[in-house]
Amino acid sequence: MKALSTRQKILWGLVGLLVLLYTLWPLFSILMTSFKAPSDLFTGRLLPTKFVGDNYAMIFTGGARDLFLPALRNSIGISLISTAIAVVLATFCAYAIARLDFPGKRLILNCALGVSMFPVISIVTPLFNLWRQIGLYDTWPGLIIPYLSLTLPISIYTLAAYFQQIPWELEQAAQVDGATNWQAFRKVIVPLAAPGVFTTAIIAFFIAWNDFVYGISLTSTEAARPVPAALAFFTGASQFEDPTGAISAAAVVVTIPIIIIVVLFQRQIVSGLTQGAVKG
Amino acid sequence: MSTASTQAVETASEPQARTKHLTQRARDERRLGWLLAGPAFVLMLAVTVYPILQALFDSLFSYRLTAPDDRAFVGLGNYGVILTDGVFWRGLGVTLLITVVTVAVELVLGFALAMVMNSAIRGLKGLLRTAILIPYGTITVVSAFAWFYMFDINSGYVNHWFGWLPGIGANFDWFGSTWPALFVIMASEIWKTTPFISLLLLSGLAQVPSDYTEAAKVDGATWGERLTKVILPNMRAAIMVAVLFRALDAFRIFDNIFIMTNGAYGTEALSLLAYRTSIGRLELGLGSAVSVILFICVAIIAAVAIKGFKVDLAGQGRAK
Amino acid sequence: MPSDVSHKRRRRGAVGLALALVAPLALAGCANQQNGPPTLMWYINPDDGGQAELAQRCTAASGGKYSIETSVLPRDAASQREQLARRLAAGDASMDIMSLDPPYVPELANPGFLAPVPEALQKAALSDDVVEGAKRGAQWDGKVVAVPFWANTQLLWYRKSVAQKAGLDMNQPVTWSQLLDAVRETDTYIGVQGIRGESMTVWVNAMIESGGDHIVRNPMAPADQIDLGLDSDAGKAAATIVGTIGRDGLGGPGITTQDENVTMQNWQGDHGSFMVNWPFVYAATQSAVEQGSLDRSVLDDMGWAQYPRMSADRPSAPPLGGIMLGVGSHSRHPDLAFDAITCITKPENQAYYFVSNGNPPSSIKAFDDAAVREKYPMAPVIRTALENAAPRPQTPYYNEVSTAIQQGYTPLTVVTDQTPAQVAEFIRRVLRGEALQ
Repeated sequence: MKALSTRQKILWGLVGLLVLLYTLWPLFSILMTSFKAPSDLFTGRLLPTKFVGDNYAMIFTGGARDLFLPALRNSIGISLISTAIAVVLATFCAYAIARLDFPGKRLILNCALGVSMFPVISIVTPLFNLWRQIGLYDTWPGLIIPYLSLTLPISIYTLAAYFQQIPWELEQAAQVDGATNWQAFRKVIVPLAAPGVFTTAIIAFFIAWNDFVYGISLTSTEAARPVPAALAFFTGASQFEDPTGAISAAAVVVTIPIIIIVVLFQRQIVSGLTQGAVKG
Repeated sequence: MSTASTQAVETASEPQARTKHLTQRARDERRLGWLLAGPAFVLMLAVTVYPILQALFDSLFSYRLTAPDDRAFVGLGNYGVILTDGVFWRGLGVTLLITVVTVAVELVLGFALAMVMNSAIRGLKGLLRTAILIPYGTITVVSAFAWFYMFDINSGYVNHWFGWLPGIGANFDWFGSTWPALFVIMASEIWKTTPFISLLLLSGLAQVPSDYTEAAKVDGATWGERLTKVILPNMRAAIMVAVLFRALDAFRIFDNIFIMTNGAYGTEALSLLAYRTSIGRLELGLGSAVSVILFICVAIIAAVAIKGFKVDLAGQGRAK
Repeated sequence: MPSDVSHKRRRRGAVGLALALVAPLALAGCANQQNGPPTLMWYINPDDGGQAELAQRCTAASGGKYSIETSVLPRDAASQREQLARRLAAGDASMDIMSLDPPYVPELANPGFLAPVPEALQKAALSDDVVEGAKRGAQWDGKVVAVPFWANTQLLWYRKSVAQKAGLDMNQPVTWSQLLDAVRETDTYIGVQGIRGESMTVWVNAMIESGGDHIVRNPMAPADQIDLGLDSDAGKAAATIVGTIGRDGLGGPGITTQDENVTMQNWQGDHGSFMVNWPFVYAATQSAVEQGSLDRSVLDDMGWAQYPRMSADRPSAPPLGGIMLGVGSHSRHPDLAFDAITCITKPENQAYYFVSNGNPPSSIKAFDDAAVREKYPMAPVIRTALENAAPRPQTPYYNEVSTAIQQGYTPLTVVTDQTPAQVAEFIRRVLRGEALQ
């Protein structure tokens, strides 16, 4: 590659700046809102006249605490569990698809795709009905199970694509040594597959973390209500006052872990997302 | 089933599977295959197929949750009510409009981002990737609030910044009428999902053989010619997949509208109608019918895309 | 292979650890069944901590008979109803005490979701100590089905300077048309809630009731026989006011998305003049002044009067809001729950709630509380308003009626004298199951 001219450097700098502006602007905007005092909200300006932490105090120690903290706990717990279940099951499934010969694997992949396109809103009513009959309404399992409809399909096809790129000779070598398929899977493939599994877990977690429809439809108290649903339930100092500040602060808080994950694992996430997709 | 399995056999480059009759080992392998893949498969179907069948059943009744004794079988009556109601067709129109506009804009924007990422200098690549993943990871509801507060007539600053544009001023109420409200809703949707589309396009872009573009360059093709004659045709598969994925996703739009307008002033998409009927009004029968119709719409779009445009989605699962 | 064994052990350890981490989280929800006095769950609408404080007080006052825990419901009334109705329909046994918005009481009482109110509390709810509006709101089918807790109503809040400039004598009752003239004359905005939301029904209902009619004339009737007063003279007069404010731009530029809070914010601004709003505006304006975000002069300029009339010769019927307390029919401890409700609704507790949270009591005695008089100079005005207040339609189909009004009367600009008839026809079709909403 040729050395870049100054003009090219400036050009690329500008392009980078533009992309950053695009991707960060809305978040920067809500970050600024989160530092505004109530009197500052109606100034029509982006920046607060004075930076105050009141809104953060409100969600962590103040009036919105009982709404926000349980929601945070629910969101983390429910998303992690459903991600874990999905990734474990999908790992087995994707391994079988990539590695074993059995009828119906195309069917499985097609179903995974079909399910990933499923309109969630269509199944929320029956689930709501069923859940209230069997007592899963407003519980953790009551969200974990439907979250699988979001996390499983993407996990299956991301992992299936990933597994097809693993050097299988190693497994065959293990099989030659007398190991069964199962042993070969466990000892050889698992360590090789771990990075792909990890990436898949991140993507699945993002999807579960993002859910809103199940969250508002299948919960009704802080026993299971996740963060996105709770954000829509915030309230101001009294029944009729607007909770702009508290919502902004909570929105910032739940975005921070996402940014950390993205910064740490951007390479893996990108490869995971692009692998699960088109292959010529 | 037989074609599916032959294809599967072809694609799985398993040496021992080539034997005509099933050996003990091949039988074991089949069993193990379903043993490993079965749980995920069954669970995945259980959480979707069962509820949609239930919805289909419920949709044949007039059933209100707060009047359980009045439940009555009405056959396809609910569908009749919905399909003859302007509310439904308006909802469908809004949904289709949002789908078409957002996907079109995202395709252009996403392609530009993919080009930038594809040719970015080394030091910039990581930064760009990180930046682009941030909207992808942001919760849709957070994005909705961020955009809402930006444009809101009371707490927003957009009116003050862009007051010089004709039609916009301090007194412009973005969420008070259909078109401006849809504009902000779509902006939030586009912001959040363009990264996904651009990553799909990036992987497509990486598959355009670089000698083709080089050759075209040598032949004196302009940038525009290289784009339309070489790059885009070679990315057809990637583009189709990206469009289909996003179109179906956009068709299900809910979060942004729920937060910003809750469907007021002509912004009610089908998902919101389904939600409001079954969860809000507690009319489970009518709501289920809306849900089933929404499902059918999604299925039709997918079928048309896959059959009509030959989008090979399952191709991704196969070896390269 | 020793390394293999250690691997296995490590993996088992990991699985065990994962289970250990997950299990308590998953069980946390059902771990509350410990020994000691029964816990009563009180589903509260969001407030400034007042209901939580009352829960503590009444827990202490019970002498160990029960303890009350609170759980917060969503912010707007419609979502609160959704949540409660869904849980009640699900037969949830934890619905011990519920803070109910009055218009939704019939819908929950009709299918028997609410436990019967004991004799003594029924009597108390109908006694002379309870303001008239709350009495009406607590009943369904001729029976008391919920216990009045606090009662809200709207006043006409005004800027004294603007009223003076317009030459309005605010010691006399004023009508909507006088207000609209005053606003035109002074080039200010009238404060009403134009957002597509529950507040729209609150407003339309208050105007129709003030005009002597009702949105639903026979609230007990089945869905297909409902008699609507929307298209009456009173209903048309109400529509005219809504439409005039919209078309003449009298409500300000953001009227289509203006809720109670924004109404107050705009009233505090340069174009503020008159607004109809709940009493929270007084406490909120006070605290804005204390925090230094609002000039003291606004508070000094703040006046209050009875809700505007529709015609000069007929007293207004201001909106009725507030909270009723109900007990779920599946509650495990209905007796204790009603005990707790008796405690929560004691006049001194209502007075405390008014002083601390700005929500007016339903008990007349509570209005005589010294702290109330001191904190809310307009308390007597609120009390009078509550005596005249009219509830929104008390029908099990309130949600459909209200949604139709919200859809039909917003944006304000589209409201003409045709609107009432169209909305009424729409409601009839929806209730017959012939139309989506």
